Amino acid sequence: MIEAHDLTKRYGSKTAVDGVSFTVRPGVVTGFLGPNGAGKSTTMRMIMGLDRPTAGSVTVNGHPYARLHAPLTEVGALLEARAVHPGRSAYQHLRALAATHGIPDSRVDEVVELTGLAPVARKRVGGFSLGMGQRLGIATALLGDPRTLILDEPVNGLDPEGVLWVRNLAKHLASEGRTVFLSSHLMSEVALTADHVIVIGRGRILADAPVSEFVDSASRRSVRVRTPGAATLREALERAGASVAVPRPDDEADALAQGPGRHGAPPRAEVLEVTGLDAPAIGELALTSGVVLHELTPVRSTLEDAYMELTADAVEYRTSPTEDQETAR
Amino acid sequence: MTATATARPARVGFGRTLRSEWIKLWSLRSTWWTVGATVVIMVGFALMFAAIARLTMQSPDIQQEMAQDPSVQVEGMFDAVAVVTIGYSFAQLVVAVLGALAVTNEYSSGMVRATFAAVPQRIQVLTAKLAVLVVTTVALSVVGLALSWLVTMPILSSVDISLDLSDGETLRALGGTVLYLVAVVALALGVGTLLRHTAGAIFTLVALLFVLPMVFNILVSTSDIEWVRTINKFLPSTAGERVIATGTTPDHLLTPWVGFAVLAGYAVVALVAAAVVLRRRDA
Repeated sequence: MIEAHDLTKRYGSKTAVDGVSFTVRPGVVTGFLGPNGAGKSTTMRMIMGLDRPTAGSVTVNGHPYARLHAPLTEVGALLEARAVHPGRSAYQHLRALAATHGIPDSRVDEVVELTGLAPVARKRVGGFSLGMGQRLGIATALLGDPRTLILDEPVNGLDPEGVLWVRNLAKHLASEGRTVFLSSHLMSEVALTADHVIVIGRGRILADAPVSEFVDSASRRSVRVRTPGAATLREALERAGASVAVPRPDDEADALAQGPGRHGAPPRAEVLEVTGLDAPAIGELALTSGVVLHELTPVRSTLEDAYMELTADAVEYRTSPTEDQETAR
Repeated sequence: MTATATARPARVGFGRTLRSEWIKLWSLRSTWWTVGATVVIMVGFALMFAAIARLTMQSPDIQQEMAQDPSVQVEGMFDAVAVVTIGYSFAQLVVAVLGALAVTNEYSSGMVRATFAAVPQRIQVLTAKLAVLVVTTVALSVVGLALSWLVTMPILSSVDISLDLSDGETLRALGGTVLYLVAVVALALGVGTLLRHTAGAIFTLVALLFVLPMVFNILVSTSDIEWVRTINKFLPSTAGERVIATGTTPDHLLTPWVGFAVLAGYAVVALVAAAVVLRRRDA
C-alpha cells in the first residue's frame, strides 16, 4: 500500500510534481502513466525516500520510507536508469545489497535464477544489454521478497519475450496480494498489464480509475460522415444535439483520392465527425434533410488516442514546439 | 516467485551495512589496482631512496666531510625512517583516489539510489564507508611500510644505517605515516561526498594535497612574507606530514602532533559537511 498526500516537488521555479494525492492498493497492478517528464520518476523517487518532497508526504505500508526497519523486505524497486556500478558483477551487486538486510546468498541465487540471469551473473554489468540490465534491476527489486514493488518503466529495452515475462510477473505478484506500482509512458502497455491506472501529466493527476473504466470514459465513439451536403447536414445534426467536428486534412486527401466519377466531377464531398448521435440516427436525419451520404462509418477512438488527448496539454517535450512554448523559454 | 525459502530478515544495522560496503569495495577491480599501486609506490620509492642513500654515503666526498665533522652523519637526511616512509607523498594520491571513488562511483553509476533504498539512514552508509576505508588504509600502509623496511634493510645496512624501533621519534614517524594516510582517505571520502563527481573530487584533492603545497613551498623558500608562511604551515599535507618527519621542527612549520591534528581537523570538517549535505540532498 502506497499513500501519497499533496505530494509536491519543486526544482527552483520548476514544479515537477504538483500536489499529487493517490493510493496504490495491494492485490492489483496499478499503472502509473504519463508522458516523459510528467513527474513519474520524481514521484517514485519520493516514495523511495531518495528525493525529499517540497511539500506533502508519502507512506509505504503506513510508514515513511526512511522509517522502515528493513526496507528491502517492504519495498522492492526497479529504478529508472541503471543503478548498478558497471565494474561489478551482477552477483556481487546483489550480494552487496542483500548484505544490508542479512539476506542469505541462497536468496541471491534464487532471484538470479528467477530473472534468467544465471548465465551472466558472474560477468561485469558494464557489458550487459539493456534487457539484461533491466532483468538485474528486477532481480534487485525481488531480493527482499517485498510486499510492495515499484517498477519504473520495467519493459524498457526488453525483447518481446521479456515484455511478456514482466507482464506475467507483475500480474502474478499482484495475485499473491502484493502491491505492484508500475510506470510506463505507453498506454497500451498499461492497458495490458494493469488493473488500475493513475495518469499523470505536468506533475498533476489527470485520471485515477480502474483501467476498464478509464478506457470506457476516455475513448469517445464518433461517426464519420462523408457527404456533398455538409453544410445542410451539419445544421440538422447540431439542431438534433450532436456535435460536429471539422474535417481533418488527411480526410480531405482521402476525398480527393476518390477522383472524378464516370459522369464528370461529382459535388465535392466533405467529411464530418459526429459525436452524440449514432449511425442509424444520422442516416435518418440525412434522409429527412434530403442529403446524400457517401459514407457513414462508426469510429471508436483507440486507447492511445484517448491517452494522447488526455495528456495533450501535459506533454513536456513536443516534437515541434508551439509558439508560446518557444517564447516561454 | 517463492516466498518460502527466505525467513524474514531482521532490520538493517551498522554491522550489515559495514559488510555490504566491504563487499562493494572489494568487488571492484579498481580497489585491487589502487591498493596494489599504493604498496608498490611505497616500496618502490623506499628502494630508490635507499639506493641513492648508499651511493651518496659511499661517495668519497661525503666520507671525507663526515670524517671532518661528525655531526653531518647524525643530522643527515638519510636516516632509515626517512627512507622507509618516503613513499607516502605519492601513495597519498592513490589513497585519495580510493577514498573519493568509494562514493563518487556510486553517484556516477546511479548505484547510490540502490544503496540508499536499502539503507535509508545515509549517515550509516557514510560511516560504514569510512570504517571500511580506514581498515583498508591501515592494512595497506602497514604492509607498505613493512615491505619497504624489508627490501631496504640490506641496502642500508651496508652503509651502517638501520631502523631503531626503540626510538620514540622513529616509532612516531612510522605510526604517523599510517595515521597520515588514514586522514587522507577520510578527507577524500568527505570531499568525494561533497562534490559527487569523480573528476572534480580528484582534481580538488590533488590540488589540495600536492599542487598547493608545492607552490607554497617555492613561495616560502623565496620570500619571507608572513601570511604566506602562515598559510603554508596550515595546508593539509604540509601540516599533516610533520608527524612523519624526524629531527628538529623548523620554525616556520608546526610541531608533529599539532600538524597532524590540523590535517585530521580538515578531514573531520569535510566529513561533517558531507554528512550534513548527504542528509539534505536528493540522491
